[in-house]
Amino acid sequence: MFRFNPYSPEIDADPFPAYATLRAEYPCFWSEDAEMWVLSRHKDIVMALNDWETFSSAKGNLVNELPGRAGSTLGTTDPPRHDRLRALIQKAVTKRALAHLMAPAQSVAQKHLEALKGRDQFDFVAEFSSKYTVDLIVYLFDLPPADLEIVRDKAVMMVQTDPVTRQKGPEHLAAYEWMREYAANLVQERKKNPGEDLLSQFILSEIDGDKLKDEEILLTVTTLIMAGIESLSGFMTMLIKNITDHPEVREALVANPDLIPDAIEESLRFNTSAQRFRRCVMKETTLHGQTMKPGDFVILAYGSGNRDEEVFPNADVYDLSRKPKGHLGFGGGVHACLGTAIARLACKVAVEELLKAFPNLSKVDQELRWMPSTNFRSPLELQVKA
Amino acid sequence: MPTVNYVSFDGQSTQLELAEGMTIMQGAVMNGVEGIEGECSGSCACATCHCYVDDAWLAKLPEMSENEDEMLDDTASERKPNSRLSCQIKATAELDGIVIHMPEEQE
Ligand code: HEM
Ligand code: FES
Repeated sequence: MFRFNPYSPEIDADPFPAYATLRAEYPCFWSEDAEMWVLSRHKDIVMALNDWETFSSAKGNLVNELPGRAGSTLGTTDPPRHDRLRALIQKAVTKRALAHLMAPAQSVAQKHLEALKGRDQFDFVAEFSSKYTVDLIVYLFDLPPADLEIVRDKAVMMVQTDPVTRQKGPEHLAAYEWMREYAANLVQERKKNPGEDLLSQFILSEIDGDKLKDEEILLTVTTLIMAGIESLSGFMTMLIKNITDHPEVREALVANPDLIPDAIEESLRFNTSAQRFRRCVMKETTLHGQTMKPGDFVILAYGSGNRDEEVFPNADVYDLSRKPKGHLGFGGGVHACLGTAIARLACKVAVEELLKAFPNLSKVDQELRWMPSTNFRSPLELQVKA
Repeated sequence: MPTVNYVSFDGQSTQLELAEGMTIMQGAVMNGVEGIEGECSGSCACATCHCYVDDAWLAKLPEMSENEDEMLDDTASERKPNSRLSCQIKATAELDGIVIHMPEEQE
């Protein structure tokens, strides 16, 4: 009997064979392990994303939701409230509005690469992607100085799930609590001394003359820090894994850095760090002969839709010349990632600077340890050779 | 399934049948029709899915949201009275046969 268990370390390490079976044989699958439906074909996921009235985010979008988040953040509310909240932040994070981030990103990248000069081998996660993303998000949101390594560790911990109990464990919940506290202090401080930064603007915003709810502000700020740091460093690590796994790709990028955006898009398709999110069924829906009932949860397996041969021929091949459009690396529809322009800019600058500093960067034979998570997929450590 | 006619900036036309509920943007990017990018994956946040809707269909379109109206001020090619963001328009029986003109550039 085929099973799909998003809690298993095997799925953390390599979900793609199971996805292929899901797409081919069980396109609308009830996972007993997750106690949720799983949609795996590109077209079905797109249709669900286009129909938020049937596939709602208001009951949470993380496969294992954190307490209190449902209904109180951008990612966990439905329109019209969602659209009003999002409009408050959106303008500050468009490609054009973010041009100011380019120079700071370059100098942050150069600073951390400088420290690696002369090393033969290093852990890309601990020694580059974590430091770079934390510095960048601290700059962008003007976060108060804290022990930045702790902020990052908590962001990474709170998105994990215990594979044995199939729940958030005490260490994950404690990390979430820590981040809430950190965000709460930040919100208090900004209310007293508002700045020009994105978070101040959001905190002071009103919708139809009403101040935002405290819980909404607090949890949206918490989510922005979590997404900004964890999603970004996780994805960047997958991008470098792809580049070092494919030496011909690295050579092409060194010869022509203008191709770096193509490598980013193909990585978002090929093995995005944001593998799965969930929705809640609001109206009885029959798909591929299965009936999903109101109240049932559904996993949208973006990482599987991205390997669907119907849309991406030779989907299991990493192809720099593919220039994939319509991939699900950032999800899609009303809830598609808010940080797409931040992420693309940050990754482009990072790869440009990294390949300038280490044009021969290559992989090290290693058994990767993967993050235990029902949503996200990235290695906890990635050793690379200079 | 509703039919959508995509007309490129240099006048080439591509006809596609889209599943009901699929957006005009998704129809283009999933089928390799050039001229529409869709960088923000349809969240009305990038304006790289800008299109000009043939006048005959304009009145049948769903009303544009405030967000779409504001994003349309940020397009790479000139905004015209028939400008829309194609990620905000779903293929429906009502719009069967709709003609979409692509702008010169999206970025
Ligand atoms: C490459 C890095 C990133 C990836 C792969 C990624 C991926 C995603 C995905 C797949 C979603 C959709 C969630 C769903 O369907 O429920 C999402 C939503 C979101 N992301 Fe990202 N993300 C990245 C970086 C960022 C950054 C840097 C930020 C902010 C600074 C951010 C903020 C958000 C927010 C606020 C949402 C919820 C949007 C909404 O519901 O309207 N993300 N992200
Ligand atoms: S795809 Fe970005 S606005 Fe339409």
